[in-house]
Amino acid sequence: MSTFEFLLQGLASAAQPINLLYALIGVTLGTAVGVLPGIGPALTVALLLPVTYRLDPTGSLIMFAGIYYGGMYGGSTTSILLNTPGESASIVTALEGNKMARAGRGGPALATSAIGSFVAGLIATLALAFIAPYIVKLALVFGPREYFALMVLAFVTVSSAFGDSTLRGLTSLFIGLAFSVVGIDQLTGQNRLSFGIPDLLDGIEVTTMAVAMFAIGETLFIAAQGNKGPETVEAVKGSVWMSAQDWARSWKAWLRGTAIGFPIGAMPAGGAEIGTFLSYATEKRLSKHPEEFGNGAIEGVAGPEAANNASAAGTLVPLLTLGLPTSATAAIMLAGFQQYGLQPGPLLFVTNPQLVWGLIASLLIANLMLLVLNLPLVGLWVKLLTIPKPWLYAGILLFATLGTIGANPSVFELGMLLTFGFLGYVMRVLGYPIAPVVVGLILGPLAEQQLRRALAISQGDVTTLVQSPIAAVLLILAALAFIIPLILRIRGRGEVLSQMAASED
Amino acid sequence: MKHFFLASILAGALALPAAAADYTIMAPAAPGGGWDQTARTMQTALQQEKIAGNVQVVNVPGAGGTIGIAQFASQQKGNPNALLVGGYVMVGAILTNKSPVTLKDVTPIARLTGEYEAIVVPASSDIKTIGDLVAKLKENPGAVSWGGGSAGGTDHILVGLLAKAAGVDPTKINYIAFSGGGEALAAILGSQVTAGVSSYGEFESQIKAGTLRLLAVSSDKKIEGADAPTLKESGFDVVVQNWRMVAAAPGLSDEQKKAVAADIEKLAQSKTWQEALKTKGWTDTYLAGSAFDEQLAKDISATDLVLKDIGLVK
Amino acid sequence: MSPDRNKTEQRRPDWAALAVAVVLAAIAAVIFIDVSRLKGTGGYSQVGPATVPDWIGFALIGLAIWTVIEAFRGDFPTRDKQEIGPVVWIVAGLVAQMLLLRVAGFSIATGILFGLTAAGFGKRKLWITIPLGIVVCLFIWLIFAGLLQLALPAGPLERLFW
Repeated sequence: MSTFEFLLQGLASAAQPINLLYALIGVTLGTAVGVLPGIGPALTVALLLPVTYRLDPTGSLIMFAGIYYGGMYGGSTTSILLNTPGESASIVTALEGNKMARAGRGGPALATSAIGSFVAGLIATLALAFIAPYIVKLALVFGPREYFALMVLAFVTVSSAFGDSTLRGLTSLFIGLAFSVVGIDQLTGQNRLSFGIPDLLDGIEVTTMAVAMFAIGETLFIAAQGNKGPETVEAVKGSVWMSAQDWARSWKAWLRGTAIGFPIGAMPAGGAEIGTFLSYATEKRLSKHPEEFGNGAIEGVAGPEAANNASAAGTLVPLLTLGLPTSATAAIMLAGFQQYGLQPGPLLFVTNPQLVWGLIASLLIANLMLLVLNLPLVGLWVKLLTIPKPWLYAGILLFATLGTIGANPSVFELGMLLTFGFLGYVMRVLGYPIAPVVVGLILGPLAEQQLRRALAISQGDVTTLVQSPIAAVLLILAALAFIIPLILRIRGRGEVLSQMAASED
Repeated sequence: MKHFFLASILAGALALPAAAADYTIMAPAAPGGGWDQTARTMQTALQQEKIAGNVQVVNVPGAGGTIGIAQFASQQKGNPNALLVGGYVMVGAILTNKSPVTLKDVTPIARLTGEYEAIVVPASSDIKTIGDLVAKLKENPGAVSWGGGSAGGTDHILVGLLAKAAGVDPTKINYIAFSGGGEALAAILGSQVTAGVSSYGEFESQIKAGTLRLLAVSSDKKIEGADAPTLKESGFDVVVQNWRMVAAAPGLSDEQKKAVAADIEKLAQSKTWQEALKTKGWTDTYLAGSAFDEQLAKDISATDLVLKDIGLVK
Repeated sequence: MSPDRNKTEQRRPDWAALAVAVVLAAIAAVIFIDVSRLKGTGGYSQVGPATVPDWIGFALIGLAIWTVIEAFRGDFPTRDKQEIGPVVWIVAGLVAQMLLLRVAGFSIATGILFGLTAAGFGKRKLWITIPLGIVVCLFIWLIFAGLLQLALPAGPLERLFW
């Protein structure tokens, strides 16, 4: 079995001490930049890629893999501890993760996120190595109508982040959707709701919105409570490590998250966020403790984090098998590969096996290094929460604006940060949930574009949407996910559940 | 003696920035795209060849570069150390978005690289030649869906020009805009659309692997290694080149402009740059001075015309 | 939010909720007006650039009506009293950073944000907090802009070091 031999060979060369050192440097640098809110893995890799050019191919490939996984992971830490998602794929992590951190369970939240990322990265990288050619065939079957059906399913799952009021959840979602139509319409090039302001032509940046709504809105809200709020958060209640129960509740979520995230990451228009939404909704449906969701359920961290990392490996499937860069990060990796003389494309596995397997081995090593670096640091990270409020929140705003400035140094972008931060504050005061706004902003354009593409290809025939079996199945799933909770509620069982959730407050 | 001393300090102070200017290059696109890669390749080459001291790249993504150019023109006025990367896509985007800031508001320095477009179909398609495709288009323009990049971009313009050259109403083309090359390519490979349009380099490895069939290229002469006629040879008078350029800030003195142009010329001839072009598969189309200005003006008026034909500009 | 209090306030309109309804309706109106010029550019798909915004607009109107009904039924949770002072401090910090970033560079602008935010949380000794913030920011600037090549605007202070 030559596949296996190549992989072992790659692992052997990647495991040399000097290469391990490169992996460690890469992971550290990647985490350091990726941790900045608003700076996702794409910009992290773009910034740091030149650092790797100075090394030999093996060393630079390994350091590059480290930067990539480090950048992916960096966003989760701030999501959990500071309620400030580093990038759009870790927004869902903030929902439960920050609640856990507030309750003194930041340690287990960070640990389940780190271990979940590792497990997902490991499985997904192995899947990349062995079943990539099959996965990619499935991914290519997805055309506009199938994506539209997937988005409909994702929309239904948003309701799981609505909180206790359907009206306010829906309102938040539609505010997000209203913001999502700002900018140039992809399909016709026409301006919508940009009022002649050039900075609005490209629409509202998801990361700016997320950082503003979560970090700045939250800071304003806490400040406005004056001295009424809790003095300082108790950083550690119980153990800083995961308890046996935490493990028991996490491992299935990791596996399910991986199973959801990997194929969606492999789809050319899937996107890492969609996987995290679907994983969160799945965990909430399947959990034996649904009442804990919204108050810090560990499954709600474990699943989406695994999905996030699995989809990062999934992105490599179309890149390595077809040469398709399906995300900004992948496009930068493509540029990086060219530097090493790799020409990604359908023949890559045949013409350049050594480098491909070297890369896959590097990803495995980098993944392990990430765990080695981060687990011991969990204890240190949670100490962040014990910083007195004035310094903690001054620091949060410093880093939140640093990320935005670094990604796009424009005064207008800072103005948006302030505006949305204030909006986030007002919405918190009035009891509106924040996450649906950001979700609407992400899903809105995707759903609209795919719908219109599908209809353009069929020349306006609406039945095209259900004529493909995959699309039909996805739409039926969405309908079931929508109807079943309604029936349950009518039969009175939902009533009991929401009562229980309400009494937790 | 004293004067001489002062003069030499002054001369030294003036000569110093000229010897190794610092540059900030704006890539008016997200990391990963062609402009970003151009900017970052320039960064590496300028630093390695010691043409410039410290070089930074700033990304201002969006709207085909019109957001970036608007910011660049207003904030960098008179700054000889600011550069902007742009290209043909920007020409179309400025027109479709009715951008108040145009290429006239910056100082175009030189064209650096170029790529030609290719028209492909999935290997399983029953369309064998560009003639077959055009025949289908004439029969029912709506039934031929074209997958490509953003609306009003190079790919869209090529389809519009081809339709016009074939005698089909350009407003009737069924162009499906995708975000990003990868997404369009996936839709073509998956036979979701009838035909695909993008730069040749983007399709090259698929064509060689036999998953896509190349029908025609948009160059003047045949592309080396590409087994397909040009559109011109097939009887459609269409040549489209997706070029990339570099511009300096508005309001520079002639001397400042000359200094920047000299640095860019050094860059274009440097070994690092030439090697980078080879590894990335970019064609060197370096063109500067008045020849470039003329070419630019010609491209802008031709693009305006075709966008009006497609119906994107009114 | 005890159920008893909700009962006593039942027939009284919740003014904040009514304001939300007005804002929602206003957003819908802006959408309708802006996209009305895009009608009839749908091409082959029938669903043009104006269609989806219109759907969103109608949904917002529906939600506005629903909000009005709930406002009169008193279904909104009661709100804690908000202290305005700290909010003003922090917003002032963000505004200052926004205006000063180009002129004064990253460290000074962000240092002021740092100081004013700390003031919002009760540390009012600005002559200590702002210089402290500037030093911290300069250190961060040196790491991220200097070593890691992140594009953060430089001002007079940063130019001393680079």
